[in-house]
Amino acid sequence: MTEQNIQFIICPVCDGSGKNKYNLACSNCSGMGVGTFFGGTFYYWGLRMGIAVIKLNRLKKKADLLVNLFAFVVGLIGLLALFWWVWANSSGGNIEDLFFWKRKHWLILVFWTSLLFDMFVFYRLSEAAAAKQKIKKNSGEKTVKTDELPNNWKELKQFKSKIDVSSGMGNGAMGVIEDSYIIARRLKHKRVEIMHLFFSLFKDKSVFALFSRLNVDQEKLIRKIKERISKITANGKTELSVEVKKALIEAYLRAMELKQNEVNPLNLVLPCQSRDKVLAEILYDLEIDRDKIINCLAWFRINDKMLERYRTYRKMAGFKPSNNMDRAYTSVATPVLNHLADDLTIAAKWGRLSFSVARDKEIKDIFQQFQSGHTGVILVGEDGVGKNSVVEAIAQLMVEEAVPKIIQDKRLVKLDVSRLVSGATASQAQERLLTIIDEVVRAGNIILYIDNIENIVGISSGGEESLDLSEVLVGAIERGSIFCLATATTRNYVKYIEDTPLGNATAKIKINEPEGNQAIQIIESKIGPLEAKYKVYFSYDSLENVIKLSQRYMHDKYLPAKAVELLELIAVKVSQSKGEWGVVSKDDIARAVSEATGIPISKVTAKESDILLNMEDKIHQRMINQEEAVSMVASSLRRARAQLTGNKRPIASFLFLGPTGVGKTELAKTVADIYFGDEKSMVRVDMSEYQHADSVKKMIGSAQGTRGYLTEAVRKAPFSLILLDEFEKAHPDILNLFLQVMDDGRLTDGQGRTIDFTNSIIISTSNAGAVYIQNEVAAGTDIEKIKEVLINEKLNKIMRPELINRFDGVIVFKPLSEGNVLDITRLMLAKIGKTLEKKGIRMRAEDGGIKILAGEGYDPKFGARPLRRLLQDKVENVIADKILAGELERRDTVVIDDNAEVKVEKGEKL
Amino acid sequence: MLTHNFAVYGAKILGELAGSVAYFPFWWYSRGLAALMSRLKRFVINQEKSLAFFVWLKNIHRPMYGQYDWQGRVISFFIRLAQVIIRGLIMVFWLFFALAVCLFWIILPFFIFYEIYFQIT
Repeated sequence: MTEQNIQFIICPVCDGSGKNKYNLACSNCSGMGVGTFFGGTFYYWGLRMGIAVIKLNRLKKKADLLVNLFAFVVGLIGLLALFWWVWANSSGGNIEDLFFWKRKHWLILVFWTSLLFDMFVFYRLSEAAAAKQKIKKNSGEKTVKTDELPNNWKELKQFKSKIDVSSGMGNGAMGVIEDSYIIARRLKHKRVEIMHLFFSLFKDKSVFALFSRLNVDQEKLIRKIKERISKITANGKTELSVEVKKALIEAYLRAMELKQNEVNPLNLVLPCQSRDKVLAEILYDLEIDRDKIINCLAWFRINDKMLERYRTYRKMAGFKPSNNMDRAYTSVATPVLNHLADDLTIAAKWGRLSFSVARDKEIKDIFQQFQSGHTGVILVGEDGVGKNSVVEAIAQLMVEEAVPKIIQDKRLVKLDVSRLVSGATASQAQERLLTIIDEVVRAGNIILYIDNIENIVGISSGGEESLDLSEVLVGAIERGSIFCLATATTRNYVKYIEDTPLGNATAKIKINEPEGNQAIQIIESKIGPLEAKYKVYFSYDSLENVIKLSQRYMHDKYLPAKAVELLELIAVKVSQSKGEWGVVSKDDIARAVSEATGIPISKVTAKESDILLNMEDKIHQRMINQEEAVSMVASSLRRARAQLTGNKRPIASFLFLGPTGVGKTELAKTVADIYFGDEKSMVRVDMSEYQHADSVKKMIGSAQGTRGYLTEAVRKAPFSLILLDEFEKAHPDILNLFLQVMDDGRLTDGQGRTIDFTNSIIISTSNAGAVYIQNEVAAGTDIEKIKEVLINEKLNKIMRPELINRFDGVIVFKPLSEGNVLDITRLMLAKIGKTLEKKGIRMRAEDGGIKILAGEGYDPKFGARPLRRLLQDKVENVIADKILAGELERRDTVVIDDNAEVKVEKGEKL
Repeated sequence: MLTHNFAVYGAKILGELAGSVAYFPFWWYSRGLAALMSRLKRFVINQEKSLAFFVWLKNIHRPMYGQYDWQGRVISFFIRLAQVIIRGLIMVFWLFFALAVCLFWIILPFFIFYEIYFQIT
């Protein structure tokens, strides 16, 4: 439920205030003012706030407490009176002296009277407990014909199904609302605004804890809110504003949706954020957005839920048999199985398995498969995505018996494959498995679980005709005589199981790597034990960052396992460095990721926005000329990233056109270095190698197990630049692949995996029309015009226009001028100088020499490409010879003189 | 506005308190009793669940441990019969316990008043 889909109805007569000008209930809406329909019921705020009401309410709570306390004390006195009497009469040694119900004494009278007070206390507590359910349940699924709902206030007044949401407020939430009223009244504000409400929220412990988790500078936040409150000018008799009423109704609906008993202060946080734009902005400035609040609230809820689940779970677990038998003792002992397997239900009964969250859908799928008659189910997913924890969750559900009837009163037993095959020949292993299957069939109360089932594929007892170990199992599954759960990684499933008898006999359920909020919530459920174990405190930002950074920089493992491993590592470090209850911050996570991956920390923590804003300057530190190209690339990247929400395309894609040697590849390298932190974060594909139709296989792999060059590279390093050299030379089928990549941001490889391209930049280069560009630039034609002609007349002959249109930018590189070449020569010499510096040798180049080198190295056909070769021959080689000959030593200076000769100036002798 | 009247609200609070006290005897024999009975019912059901009495009764003719030969069946039947009898007795005990608690609840007020009367006379 979001604030967008709650449609509020506001009384046009009183504008939602619920009062007329005489301060009486508005006659049009009878004081309801504002409300909304949900599931056929009308929800409104009906309580009229007033200082007297608040004070009396609080007085009543105190009075209630006093009455209970008084009754309790009287009850206690009665009990003491009885004990006193017994103590006084116990000296006689006669048991009949202690039959107090037969004796007369004033102490006993006190006792009997006090019993009435005990009963009264019991009554009051029972009623209080019964009153805890303040929210009336409304599933929202009740179908109500819209024409049955009232469509004006007059009909609404008569409408039966109305709920005053103030009745659903818990003590905490009511206290917050009352406080906000008192504050507004004290300041003589006419309305209680969201700011008042939000300000009073901070008195609540749970809200305080929430913002501590969010690592907010609470002082700053409260100061800002106070400033806003002080700017409120409308004075008058205080009442709740319409926005506050809306927020309260929204909080009620939210709490109802979460099946809470009552509205608590935490429920008010999100409605406040969404109902007041200024507040949302203030929070945003403190780096808190809606998603963060939602995930952090989910964290609190997950903890509560896990505690509650643990309590009911312990209660239910008491009823599960702790031996191998079913409850009717009809099953058979399974000695061989017990020897080779672990009983997960018993482990679950004793609480040895951890709880899993956010996997309800997968569990439901598994149950449905069992119910629909499939007795074999394989969970397929990458290592560490939580296949095992799904199975463990099932074991726990089986302990609670909260499973479909066909798997109730059963055991979930995990077969240890390594024990099955170890020390046995293939035929012995087969015999063991047969015995186990026999036992399972006869026992009838066992669900067999085989982790990494591919391990039993391919073990056969000899000749060609003999059965594979897995086929022994298949027979039993096909007969429907055993239930079998198994897991396999995606790769092994495709390689060993798909299209084999085992694959055909079992239903496949995909366990995907959790993403975004789901991943964060799974991690949140693991934090409690980590915090207790290492005595550290995780901020919400640290969790978000661990997901973000591990996704970005660690590609060999999968979520949530890689995040949990990382968190454990960090917890140890922080507990050592910051002491007990140190807070794990965002930076601790960045440091750990940097250590684990070897990526410099500055890159890990660098903000994308900073990189993007200074892109041109950074590129020009490495590149000469091509101002238009550089600024176009930079601005396209900025454009592409600014509209990043929900973007399912690569970060950006460009087509670089221009003659050879003008810096196309150099620009691509520079972008990779600046944007992804390393020149090597680049997948370079020479498209002239993919000129035939069957090179598609080479590019994306095949089902036979060949891995695609491109897909494999991108899968391993999704955050990289893909450089497609000589793009136009590839076969049209390959070009079509890129049509899809640039459109959807993904590609399915030969093995059926979906490869994500949304984190990559694609740059294609082409020499097409190079001569034309050279001629036109020489003739002084405008670069935009050249581009237009190129696209419309030259490119469309070799590439489909829709492909050209897919690129975020087509960028034309100008041929280099002599001045440019001079600058490039300087840049390259400076690079050589830098390597010499490490040897303690300085370098200086005279202008005349540079000019000569530039003139010799420049070729109008090849641009600056021959220059590198020339510098190698004329400078680097000479220097190398001199170093080897001992002519050039530390503290010497290499001079390239006006004749472009390499000379040595001897340094000072020490 | 009446809601802003301190006196009216003060009276209301006192009234609510008095009402709460007056309601107590009725509560004892209505909602209180009902709540107690549903709690006892749950208790008995849970006892049955942990004893698995009905499961044993239902399977009385089914051999234990999958021993489907006739010896197995005979031995099984008698073992199960013994189990059913013992478990049945325990069940009966818990049932009576629940009933006793229920009865205790009902007569407790009368008994207290009788005792108080006995003390003061």
